[in-house]
Amino acid sequence: MNALLRAHLGSFTAVVVLQVIGAVAGLPPLLAVVELGRTLLSPDPVDHGRIWTVVIVGAIGLLVRLLFTATAAGIGHVLDSTVQLSFRRQLAAQLGRVPLGWFSRRRTGELAKVVGEDVSAVHPFIAHAPGELVSAFVVPVVSLGYLLTVDWRLTLITLIPVVLAVAHVPLLMTPRRTREQQDFDAAMGRIASSVVEFVQGIAVVKAFGGAGRAHRRFITAADEFLDTFYRWVRGVSAIAAGMQLALAPPFVLLVVLIGGAALITSGGMAPADLLPFLLLGLGLTAPVAALGHGFDDLQAAGRAVGRIQDVLAVPALPEPAHPVAPRGHRVELRGVRFGYEADHEVLRGIDLVLEPGTVTAVVGPSGSGKSTLVQLLPRFFDPTHGSVVLGGVDVREISAGDLYDAVSFVFQDVRLLRASVADNIALAVPHAEPDDVVRTARLANIHDRILELPRGYDTVLGDDVKLSGGEAQRIAIARALLAATPVLVLDEATAFADPHTELAVRQALSTLQGDRADRTVLVIAHRMETVVDADTVVVLENGSVVESGRPAELLARNGAFAAFWRSNQAIGADPR
Amino acid sequence: MIRMLLRVLGHEYAAPMRRTVALMTVTAIAEGLSYALLVPVLRALFGSAPADAWPWLVAFGAAVAGYAVLRYVSDLAGMRVGTTLLRGMYHRLGDHLARLPIGWYTAGRVGEVSVLASRGLLAAMGVAAHLLAPFVAALVTPLTIVAVMLAFNWQMGLAALLAAPVVAVIQVRTARSTAAVDAERHRRDHEATGRVIEFLQAQPVLRAGGRAGERFGLLDDSLQEVARASRRQVVAAIPGALGLTLTVQAAFTGLLVLGTYLALGGTIGVAETLTILVLAARCADPLLSLSDIGGKLRGANSELVRLDAVLRTEPLPEAVDPVTPLGNGLEFESVTFRHGDRTVFDGVSLSVPDGQRLAVVGPSGAGKSTLLQLLARFYDVDAGAVRVGGVDVRVISTEELMSRMSIVFQDVYLFDATIEENVRLGRPSATDTEVRAAATAARLDEVVARLPGGWTTNVGEGGALLSGGERQRVSIARALLKDAPIVLLDEVTSALDPVNEAAVHDGIERLMAGRTVVMVAHRMRTVRRADQVAFVDGGRVVEAGSHDELLRRGGRYAEFWELSMATVTGD
Repeated sequence: MNALLRAHLGSFTAVVVLQVIGAVAGLPPLLAVVELGRTLLSPDPVDHGRIWTVVIVGAIGLLVRLLFTATAAGIGHVLDSTVQLSFRRQLAAQLGRVPLGWFSRRRTGELAKVVGEDVSAVHPFIAHAPGELVSAFVVPVVSLGYLLTVDWRLTLITLIPVVLAVAHVPLLMTPRRTREQQDFDAAMGRIASSVVEFVQGIAVVKAFGGAGRAHRRFITAADEFLDTFYRWVRGVSAIAAGMQLALAPPFVLLVVLIGGAALITSGGMAPADLLPFLLLGLGLTAPVAALGHGFDDLQAAGRAVGRIQDVLAVPALPEPAHPVAPRGHRVELRGVRFGYEADHEVLRGIDLVLEPGTVTAVVGPSGSGKSTLVQLLPRFFDPTHGSVVLGGVDVREISAGDLYDAVSFVFQDVRLLRASVADNIALAVPHAEPDDVVRTARLANIHDRILELPRGYDTVLGDDVKLSGGEAQRIAIARALLAATPVLVLDEATAFADPHTELAVRQALSTLQGDRADRTVLVIAHRMETVVDADTVVVLENGSVVESGRPAELLARNGAFAAFWRSNQAIGADPR
Repeated sequence: MIRMLLRVLGHEYAAPMRRTVALMTVTAIAEGLSYALLVPVLRALFGSAPADAWPWLVAFGAAVAGYAVLRYVSDLAGMRVGTTLLRGMYHRLGDHLARLPIGWYTAGRVGEVSVLASRGLLAAMGVAAHLLAPFVAALVTPLTIVAVMLAFNWQMGLAALLAAPVVAVIQVRTARSTAAVDAERHRRDHEATGRVIEFLQAQPVLRAGGRAGERFGLLDDSLQEVARASRRQVVAAIPGALGLTLTVQAAFTGLLVLGTYLALGGTIGVAETLTILVLAARCADPLLSLSDIGGKLRGANSELVRLDAVLRTEPLPEAVDPVTPLGNGLEFESVTFRHGDRTVFDGVSLSVPDGQRLAVVGPSGAGKSTLLQLLARFYDVDAGAVRVGGVDVRVISTEELMSRMSIVFQDVYLFDATIEENVRLGRPSATDTEVRAAATAARLDEVVARLPGGWTTNVGEGGALLSGGERQRVSIARALLKDAPIVLLDEVTSALDPVNEAAVHDGIERLMAGRTVVMVAHRMRTVRRADQVAFVDGGRVVEAGSHDELLRRGGRYAEFWELSMATVTGD
């Protein structure tokens, strides 16, 4: 993050310098009025030439101010969009590196918010804060120096409003206020998540909704939020009002005039010396005003930066320092244990060998750890104990490139990108020949359907058309066929919209399993014929392998697999 | 702007809003007028008898005190009105969202509405609480000061007044020229958010494709578009900001020159000239802040426009004199239903007598689920009628209709709460024993036993921590607890593996017993036991009858049946 900002240090400096020059150039016009007053009020005869010079200098100051502040603002905002873009790119790159397991504990919406809104919230930091804050301090300091040379007593009096305003600041920072601020943020977060729930669960809300309680959670969150908000506002409103009043121009002028009048009537100051205080004195409050004004935005920006840094700080899935290439594609799981949470193991010591050229079918009740098991192969997670070995090498020692050249997968939850059909199929082989894409689509039984789409292979999924689950699955199969990896991990679909689709997917799947004789296949089986055709069946229960062997052997053993088999038959052979 | 605000809010808020704006205006005028007292004060101080300034200073002090009180009261009023508006708005939007037809909630809408209801609403209502007072002050105080100038010296006052129309024209033109780029930016942001979500959700696939390391082109393009749109916004805002500054500075320079000229000519007193220049300097800052405030107001306004669009979407009309149906038979009479420009149903007629079961079968995309949704009145038909207990669903109150139905969807959405709370949603008044009984009947107790936190396990957003089969069991338990006479099942067992299917089988049987049931199913064997089967395709009921009748007929249903039997028993 800091490194990122450092890359733009030159632009930042330029913005600050231009902004400061522009802001300081705002002083000559005011000083011109002062000089005008001094000359006109002095008893000496008026020097016309000098007066007009003063006026011209003032006018030039205004022009300089205009040019410099405008340029600074322009550069600042362009810089802002550049920095935001690189923040977002950095976040995207980071999110592409963190372990996949990390996502399962995060809400997609919250992460999307970090990349989107949180980066946008940095705006005041980049575009406004550097120049405006620096000039909010430089200009008053310059003015203060000048005023001190005019009359030090009135300078001190002019500072009274600033002191009064600053005296309020600690009141805004008490632990109680901080707590209220945190409550406020938390309530805001609750409202955001309750609205997401409310809207996403709208069908449930409606189906079970009495008019009153359907959206109770949302309304309750909103009411709580407002109560917190009101408490917070009530707490700070008196303090804020006091502060704003101290800084209000009429009050500052009143203080200056009372001080000035006292000094002038006592003969301690020339009347003309009052003018600079009237004109520049108001500017002395700028730093406090700038702090108060942009404070909320800056605080919000600070919190957003915190969330961005949290994401950037997540350790990436470790890449091997000295990658080893796998030799062959025999897969072994050695004493693999894994849990998403430390105290809840999903896999409790799995030993398994997958020989090239064989199909291993995993069966077991839901929650037995089947999906987790197969996800270890493409390294969605790393085991907490034990190892997954491909071609004699721990997958953690294999470079990501080599690993994904060797392993491809088709899972139930097929995620298609909002991109063309061809791009979706060629996802793992970006430079695939169009002919190959078509060939694999044919093999996957989806070619004819693609040709029916409005723009064939160029149809953008999601925009132009939405594919059914069975169709999406066949795209995923085509994807895996094109990748043609020696190891294939499959999560068989459980259901299809209609028998036609089911047949098409089944045919595609058998093509996929059969297109390489030496392929190592691991499949979560839901259909009995897949199980029967497998070389090895592994029965998983509660995170452990309870039985494994050839299907016929297991059936004869009359254990867990036989029971599973019978329960299936019972459903399949429902009374006619 | 205010008019839009009031339209979105409803007019019961018009009076307090108007009072608040009036109060803010009075405060700004008071500030401007108080400066008038500077003239006699300075005239005395710069003149020969400085002590004459004291009474005027006391008057000025009193004016400042008055201004302070007004300011405090109006700030507080702004805050109070803002909070009240916000509360009203949350309730209004919440009520409205609950009444909008489910068909309105497309995937894109869900995200949009979520943002709108959380941050958008806050930004829009911030107008009253934070933006209105500075805006009114930035406009009204300088105008009052110009009036004061006019009173003391018409030449200089007139010169200052010349700037007013220019400032107004610039404000209006800026608003117009930035509207398009602001909308473009919003669109790009929206699109990028979609790409980010896609990128996050597609991580497994992208990584396996070796695409996660390099820049993911689709996401990167949309991020670049955001950056480009934001630059265009800057460019579009420059003329306005520059023009405003230029105008204000030109006016000040003009006054400086004019004042010098008049003072040198002796037409105006030195003290007056200097006071007017001090006041002119005082006008500049608020005027310059206008472009900043204007930008924020425009941002808030575009949120208001979006809110207004949502609030103006018509919910399904509620019957004025709702009729309570007597039975629980269901009937579709020549129903025609269009979704967008697609005709989903064209003259569909079906009826399910009280206590009987209808199975709906057909190829994917035939609109089977839509039939259920029409029964539950997620949409209204375009022609014909849907009846429950002989009464058109449009004249039954929503509450009554919903109380009669239990719906089990294919995709179960669970709330981020405990399993128990999710089940209890079926009937909030149920006792703990009843909740447990329903859970046991749906064989949810097995799932609960395995979870680390048991009954009190939070299921995560959308029920993410449970598998599809487990979520399904929660939803069946929910329906069992509700105990409604009509049951709608939408491909309930489709997402289940055989073991899970066996598990929920009993639950579903219990749910269906003695009730009127419409089920959409593609596990053909679950269809067989229905009293009646309807084969739907191409927006029509192609075949209807009992399983055996349809098999004998040898039509589309029979073909489906053969195919699915082949699938189940292997080749």
